[in-house]
Amino acid sequence: MRSASLIFRKDLRVLRRSPLLLGVLLAYPLVIAGLVGLVAGYASSKPRVALVDLDRLPPTVVVGGKSFDVQRTIDQVSRNVRLVRLSQAEAERELANGEVVAVLTVPRGFVADLVGMVRSPVLTVELAPGGLRPRLEQQVQALVYSLNRQLQQAYIGTNIQYVRLILHGGTGSFLGREFQLLGLDGAQRELAELPPDPRVEKLRDFVGDARLALGQTDDALRATANPIQLERVNDKGRSWLLGAQVQAYALAVTLTFLALVLAAGALAAERDENVIGRLARGLVRGRELIAAKVAVAAVVGGGLGLTVALVFGVIVEAGGVEGGEPWDRLPLVAAGLLLAGGAVGAVGALVGALAREARAASLVAVLVVLPVVFLGLVPREIVPAAGWVSDALPFAHAVRFFSAALYDVSPWSAVVRETLWLLGLGGAFALLARASLGRLTG
Amino acid sequence: MPETELIAARAISRRFGDRLALAPTDFDLRAGETVALIGPNGAGKSTLLAILAGALQPTSGTVSAQARVGWVPQRAALYRRLTVRENLDLFRRLEGSGDVDALLDEFSLPGDVVASALSVGNRQRLNVAISLLGSPEALLLDEPTGSLDPEQRVRLWSDLESLPERGGAICFVTQHDDELPRADRVLELRDGRLVA
Repeated sequence: MRSASLIFRKDLRVLRRSPLLLGVLLAYPLVIAGLVGLVAGYASSKPRVALVDLDRLPPTVVVGGKSFDVQRTIDQVSRNVRLVRLSQAEAERELANGEVVAVLTVPRGFVADLVGMVRSPVLTVELAPGGLRPRLEQQVQALVYSLNRQLQQAYIGTNIQYVRLILHGGTGSFLGREFQLLGLDGAQRELAELPPDPRVEKLRDFVGDARLALGQTDDALRATANPIQLERVNDKGRSWLLGAQVQAYALAVTLTFLALVLAAGALAAERDENVIGRLARGLVRGRELIAAKVAVAAVVGGGLGLTVALVFGVIVEAGGVEGGEPWDRLPLVAAGLLLAGGAVGAVGALVGALAREARAASLVAVLVVLPVVFLGLVPREIVPAAGWVSDALPFAHAVRFFSAALYDVSPWSAVVRETLWLLGLGGAFALLARASLGRLTG
Repeated sequence: MPETELIAARAISRRFGDRLALAPTDFDLRAGETVALIGPNGAGKSTLLAILAGALQPTSGTVSAQARVGWVPQRAALYRRLTVRENLDLFRRLEGSGDVDALLDEFSLPGDVVASALSVGNRQRLNVAISLLGSPEALLLDEPTGSLDPEQRVRLWSDLESLPERGGAICFVTQHDDELPRADRVLELRDGRLVA
């Protein structure tokens, strides 16, 4: 293996003297990771929704005695969408050309129904067709749900006021008309002044029971409105962008791209330099040449992967978020990076051996990376075949290794399982690469 | 006293797919001699030399070498991003012997220049110098002066001509008739067969 070591050191020296290549190799996976982040960001971004106000919503609406600032209420309930006020014609046009993804219309009479509290006011929604439709429906439903949550407090408050009026009596109003009510308290007082009589006793019992029952109405009404309440506690944990899975994928994508392209290019470059004939004359055996390329892929890919892991660790620390062990598990992650880099490097060596020419090898390697990565992203529950193919490639195992190494409380079973997978796959691809290389110049 | 055969090839042939590049051929390279291989392009000269050098596996036949063999491929076989010295040092380590400084002196090569920055002549001289690492007794050169001007050709031959005098041997491929007088034997290949 002394010859492999010499070729390995030569490759590192050559790589160091190719700043453009090194820069591209470093930047490309980071750009890919950024693009994936942007796509993911788009997936969670706020869709633009038109608000068509046919009822000319006033600045303030009073519902059940509670005053609502209309614009502030809209802002509060539309956190998941970006509401833009448009005329009906503009909204239709923008919906047709895709500038808005939905049109929410406030019909005439909406405020009157809302304030009257006799029947439910109606909003209409028109959604753009296409793959986003289910998500849009969810978001519009969430918007209406948020609006109802705000209004139900007012509705409950109003109903409770009516109940209190029945309990204690006083002056009330309904549909703009004022009225005086004796109330159960007043009825009880009146009954107390009547001479004893079995029928009066019955009425007293009824009034007493009714007062007790209505005394519980507040909580009952609130419970009816919210059979299950969701209480939001303080936010903690990582943001999505710092999530365990995203970090594991970022490491694996970076490593896969670098290791595959490097190993493929480095092996094919031996042919381009016309040196392979010299090496074939007993100076370097085929397996040593493959080993050297796998080692280059492992060391360079692993080194950059470790840098990415360190950056993540620093961000996690600086953000003060909990979960994961970015520092304690670093040696385990480093070992995984070397192992996965070697396994992916073996795939790259196979590509390099088959392509036989450095430019073709690099191109094929780049073309191979994306399907390999995306196969690893497809959930096996949805497309089982993608899971089987993915199992035969190192990427998915690298993701699982990194995820376990960084975040599992007990990572060892997953780490051992994925280590065996990576060793097995690396060995198999290295053997295939050796066989494809022939007798170097054979 | 019989002449020592440094390389003896028996019935060696080579096919590339359906094409017969070299028909079954016998070839001997003896100590102290210089052999020239001539023939048109595609005649099989480079294939024969690569097989003799052990850089290419013959489809049939055997090659036995009784000496250390050096091989100078037609196209320079070196690492363009390494310096001249780094190239020589790497191949010295792989060969297990050789004197880098002596070769730099002998071939007047600039040790610290990256190989890709060398002139065509110096690159070819480096190509030859690498082949001399490991102190070969038999040297196989595939058109070593093909891309050199007359002055560079003379200079290169002056670096090599002492090898047969020291008991070694040279077999070279050439397209230059004026180099044939350097040879003790001239062999001609046509369509993969030795015809003279």
